[in-house]
Amino acid sequence: MTSLSTQLLVLGGGATGLGIAWDACLRGLKVVLVEQGDIGQGTSGRYHGLLHSGGRYVVSDPASARDCAAENLVLRRLARHTIEDTGGFFAAAPGDPPDFAERWREGCLHAGVPATEISVAEACRREPLLNTQLQRVFAVQDASLDSFDLLHALVEAIRSAGGEVRLRHRVTGIVRESDRIRGATLQPPDGTQPVTIHAEMVVNATGPWARQTAALAGVDIPMALGKGTMVAMATRVVNTIVNRLKPPADGDIIVPVGTVAVLGTTDVPVEDPTDLRIQPWEIDLLLAEAERLIPGIADRRPLRAWAGVRPLFRPTQTAGETRQMPRAHLILDHAASDGLPGMISVIGGKLTTFRLMAEQTVDQVCRALHVESACRTKDVPLDPPRRARYYALPDRLRHLEHVRPRSLPPEVICECESVTREQIVRALASADTAELDDIRRDLRVGMGPCQAGFCAYRTAALAESRAGADLGWLESFLEERWRGTRPLAWGTQLRQMELTRRLYVELMAMRHEPEAS
Amino acid sequence: MSQPALSADLCLKCNICTAACPVAAATDLFPGPKAVGPQAQRYRHPSLPLPDLSVGWCSGCGTCSRVCPHGVAVAEINIQAKARLARETGIPLRDQVISRPDLLGRFGTPLAPLANLALSAMPVRWLMERIIKIHRHAPMPAFRTRTFRSLRRAELLSKPDPDVGTGVIRVAYFHGCGTNYYEPELGGMALDVLQRLGCEVVVPPQGCCGLPLQSNGLFDAARAYAARNIRSLSAFARANYHIVGTSTSCVLSLKHDYRTILGIQSEEADLLAENAYDFFEFLALYLDDRLEALPLRQVEARALYHPPCQLKAHGVGTPALAVLQRIPGLTVDLSDSECCGVAGTYGLKAEKYAVARTVGSGLFDQAADGRYDFLISDSETCRWWMAGHARLPVLHPLEVLVRALG
Amino acid sequence: MTPVLVVGAGLTGLFAAALAGRRGARVTLLTEGRGGLEISHGCIDVLASPLSSVELARLPATHPYQLAGVERIHHALDLFREIVAEQHLEYRGSADSTLSLPTAAGHTRSTMLAPLAQSAGALGSQEPFHLAALDHFRDFAADYAAARLRRSGMPVDGVVRLPMPNLPLNRDLYSTDLARLFDQPAWRSETLRAWRPRLAGVRRLGLPAVLGLAHSESARLKAEEHLGIRLFEIPTLPPSVPGLRLERALRHAAFAAGVRLIEGAHAVGLVEATYPGSVSGVVSQTAGGPRPYRADAVILATGGLLHGGLLARARGTVQESVFDLPVAHTSERDDWTADSPFATQPYASFGVRVGGGFRPVDMQARPLFDNLFAAGGLLAGCDRSREGSRQGIDLVSAACAVEEALR
Repeated sequence: MTSLSTQLLVLGGGATGLGIAWDACLRGLKVVLVEQGDIGQGTSGRYHGLLHSGGRYVVSDPASARDCAAENLVLRRLARHTIEDTGGFFAAAPGDPPDFAERWREGCLHAGVPATEISVAEACRREPLLNTQLQRVFAVQDASLDSFDLLHALVEAIRSAGGEVRLRHRVTGIVRESDRIRGATLQPPDGTQPVTIHAEMVVNATGPWARQTAALAGVDIPMALGKGTMVAMATRVVNTIVNRLKPPADGDIIVPVGTVAVLGTTDVPVEDPTDLRIQPWEIDLLLAEAERLIPGIADRRPLRAWAGVRPLFRPTQTAGETRQMPRAHLILDHAASDGLPGMISVIGGKLTTFRLMAEQTVDQVCRALHVESACRTKDVPLDPPRRARYYALPDRLRHLEHVRPRSLPPEVICECESVTREQIVRALASADTAELDDIRRDLRVGMGPCQAGFCAYRTAALAESRAGADLGWLESFLEERWRGTRPLAWGTQLRQMELTRRLYVELMAMRHEPEAS
Repeated sequence: MSQPALSADLCLKCNICTAACPVAAATDLFPGPKAVGPQAQRYRHPSLPLPDLSVGWCSGCGTCSRVCPHGVAVAEINIQAKARLARETGIPLRDQVISRPDLLGRFGTPLAPLANLALSAMPVRWLMERIIKIHRHAPMPAFRTRTFRSLRRAELLSKPDPDVGTGVIRVAYFHGCGTNYYEPELGGMALDVLQRLGCEVVVPPQGCCGLPLQSNGLFDAARAYAARNIRSLSAFARANYHIVGTSTSCVLSLKHDYRTILGIQSEEADLLAENAYDFFEFLALYLDDRLEALPLRQVEARALYHPPCQLKAHGVGTPALAVLQRIPGLTVDLSDSECCGVAGTYGLKAEKYAVARTVGSGLFDQAADGRYDFLISDSETCRWWMAGHARLPVLHPLEVLVRALG
Repeated sequence: MTPVLVVGAGLTGLFAAALAGRRGARVTLLTEGRGGLEISHGCIDVLASPLSSVELARLPATHPYQLAGVERIHHALDLFREIVAEQHLEYRGSADSTLSLPTAAGHTRSTMLAPLAQSAGALGSQEPFHLAALDHFRDFAADYAAARLRRSGMPVDGVVRLPMPNLPLNRDLYSTDLARLFDQPAWRSETLRAWRPRLAGVRRLGLPAVLGLAHSESARLKAEEHLGIRLFEIPTLPPSVPGLRLERALRHAAFAAGVRLIEGAHAVGLVEATYPGSVSGVVSQTAGGPRPYRADAVILATGGLLHGGLLARARGTVQESVFDLPVAHTSERDDWTADSPFATQPYASFGVRVGGGFRPVDMQARPLFDNLFAAGGLLAGCDRSREGSRQGIDLVSAACAVEEALR
């Protein structure tokens, strides 16, 4: 058992945890962050990409709306390279409650969410596939945010500022000594020695696992887990975010992110943070609701479905729909709530307000540690990641066409998403890479229409020479890609899956489970 | 989003189109139809400049759409992207000129002997290449002193006659610029053969089909030309005339490009499309029995038939081949090549000529086999290009049929 | 001359058309695009084990092989070899044994007939070989394949890195690009000259299948001569060069048999029947409107779910795309696929049921039309990927359908 000490130990590498670690580093605290998986494997990497204008909450949760509106502007400044300014619409489809629009518009005024009504004709001019029978449309400052880009930028910012980020470290216990939390025990990957990290303060930012983590300390946090499913359509059917102008419900947003359009989302109570099963009715519902905004979309090609689990604080023991619970975040200092100093849990919130949550949390941390320090995250923009990762729609292709030197061929490995050999080799060299899916998250390899049909093989070829690589990585990657397309196995996507089978089962004769290495 | 752009959804990335593309096989400057088509389409944003220039190498031959098993309108996506590229980078004077064969014809015809002399003089061609970038070796047809329309005034008809129900098959002949200015005899043969087969044949008011404008990215001008043709020809279609043409590329425009690439949606456009026929397609559909009844004379010859890309794009196969195979004494071999290379105006351009020449090299090698008396092809631009490179006469299959009919 | 219409120009349709043409029928072959051959390994997978009545008896009674019977299976394979041999494409192998070939991912696959260039790499002899890693060619993972082959005990002596001088560099190259370069004598010589020094100690070399497209036999022989070693090919990611060579040979065979090919034809329905219980032909939807093609017999070779013979809808229905024939399938969409791509897939068995005469039949096993036949991937009954029977079913059902149609 190895051990080390630090000032602040952050459990959880989602937007919340990373935001807290970054904020703390900038304030001069010594920080270690641990994450059980790879960057973006948790809820933050499974979201729909919407940088809220706040419009969604103006009627149901005005405080959240206000926070979103403010943080929207802050993030545009600080994380410019992760955001595409698509703008957003709130649109009432035929049959939606007509009186909602006025309540909504007033709500926007009161919450400070800029909203301008535009004519339906104008909206359809900007977005030719929109339903021409819409009742009313308002333009808002929604933007599309690539959470993988954001998370990676935060990791690099933390490391540059002297903080430590350890991936694939699972929390096995919380160290509790004489009614004080003193740190945590962790299991690193590959069966290496368990680690104990002693810290003056532990922040539990483990998202849907927050309750389980707190239980390791002997305290309970009442939480409700709401699983939401999302579907990516193969192409950007719209270039503006489109929200449904009615009280928040399932399937009421369409977000263009990168090369796809994401339809979201549902809200299914689950018990287990790893319960990400997708039911056919969810897919059907998402397509049917999107059809109200974009006629014909249900006949187009859905590419992939995935789910994320929302961690929500449920203060009373009433059962009920998780959608109506306030999305506001909760910062729980266990010293106050459970008489157990040394740990603060952060529950809930939205990715849009992660920086604010982090600021408030670190304020509390500093108070508890008697450290005088002001938050600096509003003033320190995040650098674009040092590794070349293109988020903006045409940048990757432009680079290949115009910028690259001509002494070598482009060596594009994933053609759908324009990912080059050089990028993949660099990602393979990183210690953070433990399987091909990590590269997929990092660079978008295999996230295009063919769902790694071609690039899985090519990427496995590059991975072969890398120390610690497993020949079975190819099978695992293909299995993972297959799982996310199964809920959409009809029409064109079923054809794509069959093509993948022809290649790997017939041509490559891969017919069995990956062998143990 | 246009219809073709929406079909990008259907692409499975299988590379069948890439394998079949004649341009990708000829040059590494072209990444292939899949890459610049459905793949790049996901990267094209309506209000940002196009990220890719390489789509400019696409020749528009249409092979990719034809071989795609999943319904992706690859060629149409590429042609629309090329037009956008042309608008963004600017359309050179050369393209403005070569995309208007009707104007070239109108000016060239009165000056025919002089114009032809100039165009056959190497110093003039060399200068043309330097100034206007039309390759000095690009074969160019000779102007004629009289247009087809002026030679067949008797059949010109400005408005359709009402159908009195005699059961006679009525044909309105679409000649195209090629026939009108460069190959008037071909038009004459078309009228004569159709009349001999018992049809009532007229020549309606018509203009250039607009395909060269479309191929060079001048969509607005192309749409204007299309509108005029649709107005005039749909009136004839409504009066039960079949619109028949000997230029297979012009007819493809009427049938397909107007609606699918130029995006013209109207009842008249539909009426025209549904009543437009390639010449031999029309013979096979309506006149096969009558043609069979006519005696065919011996034509002792060995010929190589190259069906143009634009003919194959009609989706009706190669109807002329069946007729050619009936001609006694004539041995017809089928070309192995997808495309002769010229693709309309593509091969004329100085910067594209070498690629176009390579595209056609398989065909020219096959022709150079030495055993052929002539070549056969249904499109005039293909014929002129093939004649220039294979150094053999190249005939429209109608010309061969006429020889056999005597 | 009996007019016969074949719909679909994959392996099934091309073979059926060529056979019918050689038997004197007047054949029209309609197809929408090009398909399965261009993504396949170019081999003829019949069954994972040698063919025998015992093996066949293990298959369900409705399996196309059972409907055909062992004799007709042998006959179809013989016809296939004969037809492609006439086009200078030689296939090795026989029905009483299978060939074990290395794959581009280092696994081994079992096939019955393989083109000469691939059969030369058969693993039965246990003779050691090297694999070639071609510079700048992303579609062949030589190191990966070698590592995996070695792990399963195959005699891989090593991987040689082969330079590719004089390679066009403006874009990444596919197998077809390299194959076309290998067709060119000058380029080939220069490249082989650069390879020679790297091949000391190599006696047998496995390369990705890129040794020529139009002139592949001579390209490979010349290469062997030049290098003084034995070469074999391993098919890799599409576009498949061995598949294209086979397609080309079959197309030429079809043309030689007088088949009229119509590409870009989208078959959408029935020409009105002349009498109940028969079909008169097929309508093709073109840009210029519907075009009828009439025939005395129609053979549907439109493929399965991948190439449009069957259409799987979101609401759980599966439709046959030309005549809307009944399709054997399950209606619970969630049940169509298995958890893993490597497992047997329920959807792979969906298709049109046929009787012994290879006519589509109704629930009571009665033929729906007396002159409509179905063959190839369109047929119901098995997961060809798992069974290793794809091309075998294509060829056998095509031959049987033609036999029945011309009876």
